[in-house]
Amino acid sequence: MGFFSTILGFCGFGVGISMGLGIGYYLFIYLQPSDVEDPEIRPLIEQDTETLRRMLPEIPLWVKNPDYDRMDWLNKFLALMWPNLDKAICKTAENIAKPIIAEQIPKYKIDSVEFEKLTLGTLPPTFQGMKVYVTEEKELIMEPFIKWAGNPNITIAAKAFGLKATVQLVDLQVFASPRITLKPLVPSFPCFAKIYVSLMEKPHVDFGLKLVGADLMSIPGLYRFVQEIVKDQVANMYLWPKTLEVQIMDPTKALKRPVGILNVKVIRAMKLKKKDLLGASDPYVKMKLADDKLTSKKTSVKHKNLNPEWNEEFSLVVKDPSTQVGQFNVYDWEQVGKHDKMGLSSVPLKDLIPEEPKEMTLNLLKTMDPNDPQNDKPRGQLVVELTYKPFKEDEMPRGFEETQTVQKAPEGTPAGGGLLVVIVHEAEDLDGKYHTNPYGKLTFRGEERKTKVVKKTRDPRWEEEFQFMLEEEPTNEKMLLEVISTSSRNLLHPKETLGYINVGLADVVNNKRINEKYHLIDSKNGRIQIELQWRTSS
Amino acid sequence: MGFTSGIVMGAIFGVAVMFGWSYMMSYRRTKRVAKAMVIKQLASLNRDDLRKICGDSFPDWISFPVYEQAKWMNKQLSKLWPFVADAATMVIKESVEPLLEEYRPPGITSLKFSKLSLGTVAPKIEGIRVQSHKKGQVIMDIDFRWGGNPSIVLGVKAAVVANLPIQLKDLQVFTVIRVVFQLAEEIPCISAVVVSLLTEPKPKIDYTLKAVGGSLTAIPGISDMIDDTVNTIVTDMLQWPHRIVVPLGGIPVDTSELELKPQGELLVTVVRANDLKNMEMIGKSDPYVVLYVRPLFKVKTRVIENNLNPVWNQTFNLIAEDKETQSIIIEVFDRDIGQDKKLGTAKLPLIELEAETEKEYELRLLPSLDMMKIKDKKDRGTVMLKVRYHHFNNEEQLAALEEEKRILEERKKLKEAGVIGSTMDALDGAASLVGSGVGMVGTGIGAGVGFVGSGLGAVGSGLSKAGKFMGRTITGQSGRKSGTATPVTSENGSSKPHQQ
Repeated sequence: MGFFSTILGFCGFGVGISMGLGIGYYLFIYLQPSDVEDPEIRPLIEQDTETLRRMLPEIPLWVKNPDYDRMDWLNKFLALMWPNLDKAICKTAENIAKPIIAEQIPKYKIDSVEFEKLTLGTLPPTFQGMKVYVTEEKELIMEPFIKWAGNPNITIAAKAFGLKATVQLVDLQVFASPRITLKPLVPSFPCFAKIYVSLMEKPHVDFGLKLVGADLMSIPGLYRFVQEIVKDQVANMYLWPKTLEVQIMDPTKALKRPVGILNVKVIRAMKLKKKDLLGASDPYVKMKLADDKLTSKKTSVKHKNLNPEWNEEFSLVVKDPSTQVGQFNVYDWEQVGKHDKMGLSSVPLKDLIPEEPKEMTLNLLKTMDPNDPQNDKPRGQLVVELTYKPFKEDEMPRGFEETQTVQKAPEGTPAGGGLLVVIVHEAEDLDGKYHTNPYGKLTFRGEERKTKVVKKTRDPRWEEEFQFMLEEEPTNEKMLLEVISTSSRNLLHPKETLGYINVGLADVVNNKRINEKYHLIDSKNGRIQIELQWRTSS
Repeated sequence: MGFTSGIVMGAIFGVAVMFGWSYMMSYRRTKRVAKAMVIKQLASLNRDDLRKICGDSFPDWISFPVYEQAKWMNKQLSKLWPFVADAATMVIKESVEPLLEEYRPPGITSLKFSKLSLGTVAPKIEGIRVQSHKKGQVIMDIDFRWGGNPSIVLGVKAAVVANLPIQLKDLQVFTVIRVVFQLAEEIPCISAVVVSLLTEPKPKIDYTLKAVGGSLTAIPGISDMIDDTVNTIVTDMLQWPHRIVVPLGGIPVDTSELELKPQGELLVTVVRANDLKNMEMIGKSDPYVVLYVRPLFKVKTRVIENNLNPVWNQTFNLIAEDKETQSIIIEVFDRDIGQDKKLGTAKLPLIELEAETEKEYELRLLPSLDMMKIKDKKDRGTVMLKVRYHHFNNEEQLAALEEEKRILEERKKLKEAGVIGSTMDALDGAASLVGSGVGMVGTGIGAGVGFVGSGLGAVGSGLSKAGKFMGRTITGQSGRKSGTATPVTSENGSSKPHQQ
């Protein structure tokens, strides 16, 4: 009897528990409103000590650490923009999700799945400080600390067999400090080619997930478990040194690397106009590609000849065949004074077919403006033969990827030896007594190399590269780099040393690449940044 | 028995579990909401808040200026600068050159960049302030400072000199840039950006001009002309309330709301002036008054000869675009042979006016509107005005807008026809009547002759000499300009037709 009553008792307990759960669910969960209400925010000054104590662990980093910068202006901006941003993001998300859902539904015999509510809430993400790192490399590194404790309400309702089930995501909180690196820097807007994002620490994630109104995340233990999984998942993907790479623009295009060679053969000119008062003109041709900073190339001067024949060949480096234009200027050589312009002409490179020589007869014009009435007058003709030879993929000069790491030495480098590359980047705070027109002078094994002179500046930028081919490793050798200022006006002090450094090369051989700023000797505050690379064939 | 008690026990247990769960739910929810609140509050702190949180251990390195500092941005900017400078060169060349053409002073046939590089010194962002006065608009004020070393060479072609390269050196720009973001509900959430320079503090743009391989004296008055051109571009295009509206990618949006447009009309009666300074050797000054809100639209009174207490009683219409920030500028000149002299100037901020009520103002004349430049405190007399401000309704606004367009269109046509060299010519036509009075004297010398930037408040004695000289040099060449180059100013002194 006792046995039966125990069995019945258990059965009753079983029935009762389901009833109880039902009633409990009905009373405590179903009847509770599932809406997310806007929290009311009181000014901080009115808060009691209890709230203030709760705040202490959340104090922004810029308050605690002087190396973090305050970003309250950005917070304010974001807060003002948030309602619009919220709508825009939700709209986009919905538009993306709808077709995917529509495609998936038939497989699972569900009538419909739709967003019942989709809003990111009234609380915008906040930046609790921004830290930037300055390195010698050409990159920007920043580390914002982002905290988003939002009140989003994302409710997805699924209908099947006449029943409706809802899944609701509420109170999402994400705290993370991503490191954002912008590199390489390029000279065309937006001035960087790629964005690298990686997380420095595991992010903090917290949220409420309500299944038919009941928050699964508040089941003791489950929350911690889920949180760990989420954290680990994210960490696996983006925790430093793993990075997320976003390409903004094609860096090779932005860097304007050479993509081909234009071979120019200047054949002859015909019926040139006379410019000199006595006798015929002394013509020569100057040519260059538009927007190129390289110096132009010149033919020889044909004295006293209005129909000169040159038959000289030149090659010009092409960086962008679709926009660059070859320019030809015919000048009249003069013994004294300025050389007169006799006429000019231009050929857009896009008119040329690669690898196919094209002989062209160009009419010389006075100006580049095609509508200029001055161009109506005949000024003679110039005959040239142009061949555009694009580089083959494999002979493409070093691609962008390799610029960061040390590339291989070119062929023909002796075994055991290598190529020593010195890049003189820039200097700062130079101070000349009489003048400051600095240039850099490298002295290595008695060989001297010079950079260009940058006029009248205390902070010159040279960005010039020098190469030395060596038979063996320069372990015990040193390189002297002097910064010298010259002036043609100051006759008493035409040259002045602004400082020098002696760099031991053992470190470069060991490290393959060193990019450092050095303090100049014999200078007050002057510093110079140079990059050394040791390229070996192995 | 056992069954019933089992049910009861089970039910109680079940309810208890559910209760426990819901308790956990609300507990965790309150915790999360509290945290969200805390984070929200910490996103924008002020000094008092921080003092309350930190108590005695308030960090010394923290301060709360009106313009929040952005050191990190400067660090990044200085690193990025060589690349930005390279990239910006092309953009600037393309956007500024047409502008120079538009505002090119008369007597100069071409004004172009022959060299442009932005130098090695990056601009600094001294501070940023974000505010919002209107729903759907966010205003960002950026305190921008640039004491750079750009190398800018302008190729100037004038009628008399073939080509003169002029170098702009030691450029310094200190200004507060106001950027207004118009928000939208689609990505990227900003439909248009409005850029302008704040008037207060006044933008400071300094530079020195140097001729390359020649002397600036080759074209007399050239430096003043360039000063004037730069000044006019800045004041008439960029300085608040003037602005540049840039619609942003993709979203079709009505930007007319953002553009500057006529807001109201001013009916100004120049009644009289008292105790003016005598500038002439023989007899007394021959005063007249020039009025404007925008330097592009100037009006002037007739000349009353030989009188230090002249009575004009002339009425003009002026258009106001922004009552909050604009002012009527009143300048009193003494008409003289050759170069007119400025007797004084005064400013009446429109914000002082009440709509639809006529009020009398007696204003003290000052030597210059720039308070920093005024050295002497000599009395220069007063000028009396009656002003009535009428706020436009929509139809009137449209009409005024059309009218403004028509005037500018007319000038453009004149320019195309070669009557005036640039839009600035027409403006200078007005200015020159004011500045040199050549046209007024009726000697038949063109009005587009004078280069005096009196309208820009830049008249110094040296400058007026240069202007005078300039006027003579160019006169012979610009004969074809005479007479026609003054579409703005006519004797009835109204730049707009009366609308009563």
